[in-house]
Amino acid sequence: MGLWCFMKGVFYIAGLLLLPAAFPAHGHLLNMTEMHLQGAQDGSAILEVRIDLGQSLMTPEAYWQAALANGRKEQKQHLEHAILALTDGLSVVADDRRANLTLRDWRLEAVSPEAIRNPLTPQMATLRFDVNLRSAAKVEVSLTEKLQVPWPCLLRVDIPGVDLPVSRLLTDDVRSSRAVAMVSGADTGNAPTLAQLASSFQSVVPAITWVAVGFQHIIPRGLDHIVFLLGLFFLSLRFSTLLWQVSCFTLAHSLTLGMATFGLVQVPAAIVEPLIAASIIYVAVDNLYSERLARWRMMVVTVFGLLHGLGFASALGHVRVPEDTFLLSLAMFNLGVELGQLTVLACAFLVVGWLRRWSAYQVRVAQPASVTIAGVGLYWLVKRLAF
Amino acid sequence: MNAKQSMLAILMVTVSLFVVEGALSAVGGKVLEFPADGRAAGEFPDVWIHGSKSAMDNDDPAVQVHRYNDHTFILRENKAINYEGAFMYLFFGNDVALLVDQGSTSSPALFPLRKVVDDLIDSWGREFGRTDIRLIVANSHLHGDHYAAWNQFVDRPNTVMVGLTHEEMMAFWGFEAYPDERIEFDLGGREFVVTGTPGHQASEIALYDKWTDLLYTGDMFYRGRLYLEDWEAWAASIKRLRALADDYPVAHLVNNHIEMTRKPGVDYPIGTTWQPDEPPMQMTMSMLDQAVRATADISAPGIYTFDDFLIYNEVPWAYTTDP
Repeated sequence: MGLWCFMKGVFYIAGLLLLPAAFPAHGHLLNMTEMHLQGAQDGSAILEVRIDLGQSLMTPEAYWQAALANGRKEQKQHLEHAILALTDGLSVVADDRRANLTLRDWRLEAVSPEAIRNPLTPQMATLRFDVNLRSAAKVEVSLTEKLQVPWPCLLRVDIPGVDLPVSRLLTDDVRSSRAVAMVSGADTGNAPTLAQLASSFQSVVPAITWVAVGFQHIIPRGLDHIVFLLGLFFLSLRFSTLLWQVSCFTLAHSLTLGMATFGLVQVPAAIVEPLIAASIIYVAVDNLYSERLARWRMMVVTVFGLLHGLGFASALGHVRVPEDTFLLSLAMFNLGVELGQLTVLACAFLVVGWLRRWSAYQVRVAQPASVTIAGVGLYWLVKRLAF
Repeated sequence: MNAKQSMLAILMVTVSLFVVEGALSAVGGKVLEFPADGRAAGEFPDVWIHGSKSAMDNDDPAVQVHRYNDHTFILRENKAINYEGAFMYLFFGNDVALLVDQGSTSSPALFPLRKVVDDLIDSWGREFGRTDIRLIVANSHLHGDHYAAWNQFVDRPNTVMVGLTHEEMMAFWGFEAYPDERIEFDLGGREFVVTGTPGHQASEIALYDKWTDLLYTGDMFYRGRLYLEDWEAWAASIKRLRALADDYPVAHLVNNHIEMTRKPGVDYPIGTTWQPDEPPMQMTMSMLDQAVRATADISAPGIYTFDDFLIYNEVPWAYTTDP
């Protein structure tokens, strides 16, 4: 007790000494209420309430008296009405049953009566309550009409086993958090945000995320690469012809993608992009006059592969690649690109592959398709050069 | 098909594509371009609406809307409603808008931010032929004077609420090594660089808009009292902003409050609802350089006065009675 009285005196004197500095130290309105519901795996939870009691449930003088009280028991007596107001006015409903709040501990910030009276120098009290959620699937936190707190009231809910917390803002008009799922998959009627889903997915299998990013750079974002692949496809429906071309193209673009990502080669997009368009025109026009895979076409396709790799690197440059898993991420990105390419070719086979034995295939299918591809390539070339 | 026919057919395909593109852009909204090269110009008001002698008699709009340029809006909460007079930002990209911060007042009756933003999105959509515009509701940092009207947006269709916890913010922007990382953020073709700037508050971010060259510094650097809860973090953040400005051209630094007068080193009293002698909100690189120099000079908690801002370095304002 003696030590406590001594400490109290020190706090009080220090508070007075610090008064001139304490007043202007935070001029932003920051005495809003904050609540944090921390769920545990065993179905229990702690509700922490951070509130400017001296500006809401108590008078500044009463709060100051509580802060100066001799020991925890006396302090609790001073806080009794405020605690009762909170346990009555805070409703935690777990699966349609209201849970009891039991005061666990508390902490009072108090520099001086003047500071407590001034909402611009918030003197916050932190009270923690035990809440038995009984492993509920969903929880709703709300403030009853009779409970007035400094608004708004930010609620954070931490769900056991889930990385991301849930935030809700309660105001004088909107006093309920709505249902918050406390176990994954619980139906609350509130769909999780795309960012939450993506983040959860990424935390489980980061490498797969990069495969997906690579895939997206072909489907749907890599329209020019798709058209180039179709250009390769319409030369011949012979599987070996396509395999050789795609292999050369893949090896080449993997090489330049890696080199460009490591900064070993750098070509401005203003040069790469028109050349990619030109490569599309080339393969399509060549389709019109070639019936089999010439060796020089393989070389040209390889050169074009190098170009397209630079294009992928440019696209990858817009995405942040984590430094600690750089090589793995790059490899997975490339794998995603290959999967995207294979998907494009598989779709092409599905659509026109069954016509391969048709005698008019070249005239009625391959040539019109190649003309169209060349026309699209010319459209891109003009746009990329002129605009 | 001979060579001449082939060439003709290819040309017809190309011309057809240009015709279709032209027709589509004439009928609907064409794709907006936000080139990172160069600098999209914009204008600030000569003076912002700055409150009034009598808050009761104030008849200014609850939210001042200033169009910086075609796709950038700066909003300010009426100081008569809340003395913070906080600024908020609405950036448009193709089919998506980003609202940064939601002011200091929750009540839609007093502060109808949702209606103002909805009206802006509608009118912008009509102007640029857009009908389905997604809204991202984000925050510069997690202080209540910047998220009070957040609730007005929770039931808005086609809206992404980033969230009001540190973890939700980090997940949305994609931070894995906050605050040092630079995140490339694509707002419908409009490119931003996002980086961490803790010090005033532990979750704060800064945004650099490559199209306008505006560097948004939130509450960590503005013309006013810079309240720092963590000096080391703030000093590192200021240097991080300087490094960002070394790599990207900066037209103006824009932010969240005005608390200074035009008299060097003199601020308005806390809680002022009338600031007739406000300086501009936007700041210059020389001011940022001054803050960088301050990081070398300041080593102790206290209040430090500069011409355009005051540093409140870890000034103790409360401590606990907890034994």
